[in-house]
Amino acid sequence: MKDSCSSISKLLERYFDQEVTDRERVLVEGHLHSCPACRDALKSLEELSTFIKVPVEAAIQKEDFPWVWQKIEREIRLQKKLTWWQSLRSWIDISPLFRRKVWIPAVATVVVLLLITAQIIFKKTPSYADASVVEYVESETDNVMVYQLEKQKVTVIWVFDEPAKDQTTS
Amino acid sequence: MKRSFFLLILIVLFLSLFFSSADAQVQVRLRAIHASNSGSSVDPSLRDLHKELGSLFSFTSYRLMKDEILNLSLNQPVSISAREGRIVLEATLVGLHKNMPEIKLKVVREGTEILNTQVRLLPGRTILVGGPRHLRGGVVIYALHARF
Repeated sequence: MKDSCSSISKLLERYFDQEVTDRERVLVEGHLHSCPACRDALKSLEELSTFIKVPVEAAIQKEDFPWVWQKIEREIRLQKKLTWWQSLRSWIDISPLFRRKVWIPAVATVVVLLLITAQIIFKKTPSYADASVVEYVESETDNVMVYQLEKQKVTVIWVFDEPAKDQTTS
Repeated sequence: MKRSFFLLILIVLFLSLFFSSADAQVQVRLRAIHASNSGSSVDPSLRDLHKELGSLFSFTSYRLMKDEILNLSLNQPVSISAREGRIVLEATLVGLHKNMPEIKLKVVREGTEILNTQVRLLPGRTILVGGPRHLRGGVVIYALHARF
């Protein structure tokens, strides 16, 4: 009986904290029926628990722990600032859009758009250095003369419309 | 699904590029001038060209016969007649080179093509096509410049 009590008393605290297995619980409860000493020990545990729990809970109710929040806020402020790349990575990690792996076609689309935009921009700033104003001149009936005045920015294409015409091609 | 969506975007982009180049249009100001030595008047609407005309030619009178803004579309010829329809200038936009319009010009005198040329209109540059005789003496000069 004494041996049985010593093995049960090891389980008694865990039984009180409801941490025993089903098998252990059946064993302890079976023993408690027949052992007043162990019942007293369990009762003592209950009284001790009540003795500690009541004043602690009362103190917690009164306290709002402002210093805890202050400490948390200070810790947040002191936390190292993320670089833009880390921020981007963290944003990508949390974004459901990027989790779905649609960023590859999105990046490709952006690249295509950039190429198109670049084309338009370069179109608007042409280089006139190699620009020829008159590409060709043909006449099967008259003489034609072409001259350009760079200062006045004028190009003249002159047809010599004479009554007696030569068959000339310029 | 994602792949087909991406392909659709690409197709839309390329189609928009294709149509944007296909419907190229250029505005060209074309003036038909009768230059002669009868009188010494210069049409007030030719004030901007008077200096150039005076330095290039020895005519004393410049009269504006026509002043039109042509909306040239790709490969769509536009004709302007002068001298009661006996001289016709036909302008056709044949392309754009570095955003500069390339225009084919034909001058037809009484049904005969007397000039066939292709020019590139640069910003700020005027092209003068002249020489065909006018019935009342003097010549016809066409002045062209693109509106950018």
